[in-house]
Amino acid sequence: MNKMKVIVAGAALLAMSGVAAQADPPKFAIGEPFPDLTLPSLEDGSPASITVFRGKKIILHVFASW
Amino acid sequence: MVGIIQEQHPDRCKLFMQWKQMDWPILVDSQNELEVQVVPITLFIDEYGIIRGQGRRASSAAEAVEKFLSQTFYPPGRLVSTRCAKPDLDQLKKSTASGSAASWRTFGTSLVNWAGPEMYGVAINAFQQALAIEPGHGLTHFQYGVALRKRYDSGQRMEQDFQDAANEWSIALDINPNQYIWRRRIQQYGPRLMKPYPFYDWVPQARKDIAARGETPHELLVEPSGAEFAQPSRSFSAEATPQENPDPLGRINRDKEGFINVEMVVVPAAVKPGKAVRVHVQMRPNVSIKAHWNNEADDTEMWIDPPAGWEIDQRRHKVGIPPDAAVSLETRTIEFELKVPDDAAPGKITLPFYALYYVCEDINGVCLFRRQDLSISVTVVK
Repeated sequence: MNKMKVIVAGAALLAMSGVAAQADPPKFAIGEPFPDLTLPSLEDGSPASITVFRGKKIILHVFASW
Repeated sequence: MVGIIQEQHPDRCKLFMQWKQMDWPILVDSQNELEVQVVPITLFIDEYGIIRGQGRRASSAAEAVEKFLSQTFYPPGRLVSTRCAKPDLDQLKKSTASGSAASWRTFGTSLVNWAGPEMYGVAINAFQQALAIEPGHGLTHFQYGVALRKRYDSGQRMEQDFQDAANEWSIALDINPNQYIWRRRIQQYGPRLMKPYPFYDWVPQARKDIAARGETPHELLVEPSGAEFAQPSRSFSAEATPQENPDPLGRINRDKEGFINVEMVVVPAAVKPGKAVRVHVQMRPNVSIKAHWNNEADDTEMWIDPPAGWEIDQRRHKVGIPPDAAVSLETRTIEFELKVPDDAAPGKITLPFYALYYVCEDINGVCLFRRQDLSISVTVVK
């Protein structure tokens, strides 16, 4: 995904999450590490974690398809 | 871009991603292990895994993303991504010997994530153990409910699983009413009065659009139920003109043989006066006695006549028959909504109703028309 697409997609996600982010739990505090938790990937259920993206900046969207 | 989803049925998000032609990596947190209370949340995370920002107002969203991408947070260094692996389930099982609720809960969530449907029963037992130690732990009640519903949707299903899941989610929400992810899990299956949005009404359009592109839509493990398509409503839509009771004198022979197994689930598990519940009724031919639906006859019907003061969205329901099969074994589902009177006293209220159906004793066996008298219990609380 090129940088412009990331900016556009990221901005769209932020626009959706502006209000919801007010109520998120303190474990997502700015300046703190994102929790290291291994979860199944949607693709094939294999183990996945945010830690595999070390070395890259991430725009992380916590959401649901409803 | 990376996503984490908070859904009971992650395959629906897979269909959604295909529909929207989005291909970023997605992690599945059906059990709310991250304990997020609301969605959506967008976070900026730097190269070292540190959270650097959160969702902002729409007016400055593009600038916020651009600024994040152009910033340097640490001096460049050699960063190695961490490989991740499934947790060691044997080790987690051993750790439950500590007797802590957390160890049982971790064992339970890990089994649900990694051990497959045949181990849902063991996971459910693990959550029961955790709750025996720490009964007031809301997250464990929620996760216990997730495991029960997952088992209900699998080949390992037990009859009470869905109702038990709804009960556990209600307990969890009672412990923490500010947890909107838990609340959404109840609303997903609940009455229109409590729904903020329809949840999965986009599925038919997604399939249509994906097929129009020449692709095959991702299959869903479980089709969304009526509740998951129903539009929210601000007022209860009571039936204006009552329909005719199809068997007012009860003359149709009862299903004494037990040809059809009927399962009923009330969501939410407990309701206040003036509020509504959604009742899910599922009817399945009893395969142990080789019963089948007879499709060379009329529709399956259900009649509910609520007591005085109670309102209902529809008294008489019909389920159509499959067009191309003389007999079949599918699950037939009917959902209806009831509104509790404003002055209802707390307690368990039993409401009678009945189903009428055509069944065959076997594929080439005798076919019969039968009635089954049923009842549901609605728990009214203050």
